[in-house]
Amino acid sequence: MIEMKDLIEYIAKVLVDNPDEVRVTELEGKQTSVIELRVAKEDLGKVIGKQGRTARAMRTILGAASTKMKKRSVLEILE
Amino acid sequence: MSSIEIEAKTTEEAIKKACEHFHLTEGALDIEVLESSSTGIFGLVGNRKAKIRVTVKEDSAIAVAQETLRKIISLMSIDTKISAVRKGDDIVLNIEGNNTGILIGHKGRTLEALEFIVNKAVNRATETKVRVIVDTENYRKRKEESLKGLALKMGEQAKRTKKTVTIDSVNPHDRRIIHLALKGDSQIQTKSDGEGLFKKVHIIPNRKKTNKEESG
Repeated sequence: MIEMKDLIEYIAKVLVDNPDEVRVTELEGKQTSVIELRVAKEDLGKVIGKQGRTARAMRTILGAASTKMKKRSVLEILE
Repeated sequence: MSSIEIEAKTTEEAIKKACEHFHLTEGALDIEVLESSSTGIFGLVGNRKAKIRVTVKEDSAIAVAQETLRKIISLMSIDTKISAVRKGDDIVLNIEGNNTGILIGHKGRTLEALEFIVNKAVNRATETKVRVIVDTENYRKRKEESLKGLALKMGEQAKRTKKTVTIDSVNPHDRRIIHLALKGDSQIQTKSDGEGLFKKVHIIPNRKKTNKEESG
């Protein structure tokens, strides 16, 4: 079964300069799971984007994927 | 197009390094072996490293775009096929399949997000400036027509009521369609207003015309 975590990990890896430093963890709750994304410090801007546009795009895609799986997921980008 | 030379113990290792360097698969690269490796005599004398020259293929962008989108959608556990064509400088990716509604999303937001991410990935990986357009079930065309329809309707309303009509939060691409749809109409003008990506579009009836009509 495909996890939301893999989706975010793949997207993050195509965006950053240091794909080896992409770390994604998934905290599964009863209804909502929280997906935590960590990247290298210099890549933080790349996953957030201008005015948060990249982060917003990732959340939109995550939202669509979650709807398909009939659950809710939240993306947290951690420093 | 960028080209680099890479040295490694073996040719295979050099190719692997090249793929990592460009974040691309071997298929997207042109590889020329300048010197093949040699272990020399008993691995002691004349030890030679492999040297290759690697160039990113002309149309690697199209391959990267297609592969990136395919991978993202498959990770969303949606089963589709993706066709890719070049239209001038643009790459058009079309998602084929039924039930792509979930990929379009509310007001096309998911489609936009996918397009945005694929664009970033392609321009990063190939260091080129191409625009990738993601479409499905002719959604772009339908959206454009419906936007044009809306613009014309709002334009008529502005002329009839002689009051400014405002369309809320429109992204740059859609805004352009609205401006273009009403450009030819001399009785109204259009203006964008607001901060950030999403701006309002005001459709303003021309004063002069209005005054003339009032006095006449």
